[in-house]
Amino acid sequence: MTCPSPPSPSEQRLLCGRALVLGDHVNADLLHPPAFFSLDVTRLRAGFLAGLGRETDASSDGTTWIVVAGRNFGCGSSRETTVDALRRGGVVAVVAPSFGRIFRRTAAALGVPCFVSQGSLAEVLPDEELVLDAALACLVAGGGARRIALEAPDPFLEAVHAAGGLLEWLGHRRS
Amino acid sequence: MPVASTLVEKILAPRSRGPVVPGSRYHAVEVDLVLAHDATFTLGIERIERLGLPILTPEKLLFAADHFAPPSSPERAAILGRYVTFLGERALPRDQLFRGISHQLAVEDPRVRPGRVVVGADSHTTMVGALGCFATGFGTTDILGVLATGTAFLEIPPSIELILRGVLPTGIEGKDLALAMLAALGEDGALGHALELHDHTGGSIDFDARCAITNQAVEAGATSAAFVPDAVTAGILHLRDGGAPPDLDRWAPDAGANYARSLVIDVASLPPLVARPGSPADVVPVDAVAGEPIHQAFVGSCAGGRLTELEAAASILRGRRVAPGVRLVVTPASEQVWRAASRSGALGTLSEAGALVTNPSCGACGGIDKGLLAAGELCISTSNRNGPGRMGHRDGRIMLASAATVAASALTGRVTDPRTLARSQLASWDVPR
Repeated sequence: MTCPSPPSPSEQRLLCGRALVLGDHVNADLLHPPAFFSLDVTRLRAGFLAGLGRETDASSDGTTWIVVAGRNFGCGSSRETTVDALRRGGVVAVVAPSFGRIFRRTAAALGVPCFVSQGSLAEVLPDEELVLDAALACLVAGGGARRIALEAPDPFLEAVHAAGGLLEWLGHRRS
Repeated sequence: MPVASTLVEKILAPRSRGPVVPGSRYHAVEVDLVLAHDATFTLGIERIERLGLPILTPEKLLFAADHFAPPSSPERAAILGRYVTFLGERALPRDQLFRGISHQLAVEDPRVRPGRVVVGADSHTTMVGALGCFATGFGTTDILGVLATGTAFLEIPPSIELILRGVLPTGIEGKDLALAMLAALGEDGALGHALELHDHTGGSIDFDARCAITNQAVEAGATSAAFVPDAVTAGILHLRDGGAPPDLDRWAPDAGANYARSLVIDVASLPPLVARPGSPADVVPVDAVAGEPIHQAFVGSCAGGRLTELEAAASILRGRRVAPGVRLVVTPASEQVWRAASRSGALGTLSEAGALVTNPSCGACGGIDKGLLAAGELCISTSNRNGPGRMGHRDGRIMLASAATVAASALTGRVTDPRTLARSQLASWDVPR
């Protein structure tokens, strides 16, 4: 499967990125420690994954990432800076067996879709190239060798994602 | 024949305007009160201004300044200033600023009664369910959506029934119950669910303890957590408002209501508990970690900074002094709590024991200020989260425990079971309920 990078507007349902593999119960404080809470984008980006000791990850070189995580991803704090830092760090989608409720909603609201995996994610290798086909609800790894089924997103979250975020969706609805 | 309903179904069903879009599990639910504070709300101000977003009427709003109150850096002063200025420009209510933590202010607010729907830009908004409400947290952008539409877009959660029975032993606090709940559920045991708590302990779990439990329910992933309204609820409403609605029974779940799961915790046999550093659900009896040297003890936060906790700590420390070199930080959850603890003498007792008593705010919880940790330090705390970096350096460690355990540990300089002090040193130990 090939993937344009970055996806053109007509291909937005095809998301590409390197695998950022994380574990179970990775909470908001680990993804973006509270010390990095800021309205300043530079400071915000500096906190990308800082709680996990991953400060050296390429978060500003244009690399796009698909987070492949364990259970209950993003649990804990509601600080929206966590999702914003992931987005600004190049994360285009998150796949996990389950998500912290607020994280999943905030990610949708800011245009970063979260997908619930149906199959095992254990075979996804760190840093390998992934393609996420949102239309087919499928994560493709290993150059097409491995395909992992994803739950079809709820129509509301899908509509929010298609609009580019919650406020954009509300704007469309109002108009 | 009417369908048997849970508490959450009774609250949400009449307020739902139906699916947000056809086929969705998300419903637009009318909201009674929106809570916001200086940290998370300020992230949305630029978008409110740029997009011209409307904001609900003031009757449905509660704005707190609790995170950067007062600010610990020029940048945070600027964030706070932006918030305060914006509220002033829009003639939005500023009367609650600097009076305490947003969800503590909510339970002190007469607008919050059983059956209400409360949302807040803070994950620990679940705490408000101690009054028998449906209360849940959101990120900033979702809160902007609520402010613009008057509705929250919610998955109507199935409920888990948690029955508390037995009689709470003297000296066991709401925090111990909360930790027992987290041990039973794990960090995601209530994910996607509402918790409904049934107090069958003969009223031995007071309102402050209930707040500690509903506060920490989000650490098990719960969307919301509510105590079924009962005599304790009526009592706190009488105290707060001078009276309680006569029809509290209407919120009792129907016989045969459909619960996804039912759990029972026998509170009579609970020892003082501790969540070990790293996870709020990694819970052991304090005996298992007793003796470990501490650097800081913290009595505060929305999880453990109410009058009951302050008085429990004071009763341990009365006439004594914190161990040399240990810093004991005490941060009441609200101005009302601060004043009540001042009147009761608890603040004076704690100060005489060497506690560093601060103004009402989130304080050290959330790594904000007034008690952060260096690498290698251990803090025993009544707050709600203990992951790496939560209170400062990522190699600082946090244990969660009751106020009595925190105070006993501050006294000895080591993690200490307060019951051992009660036996050997504090014959008159009497923790008020």
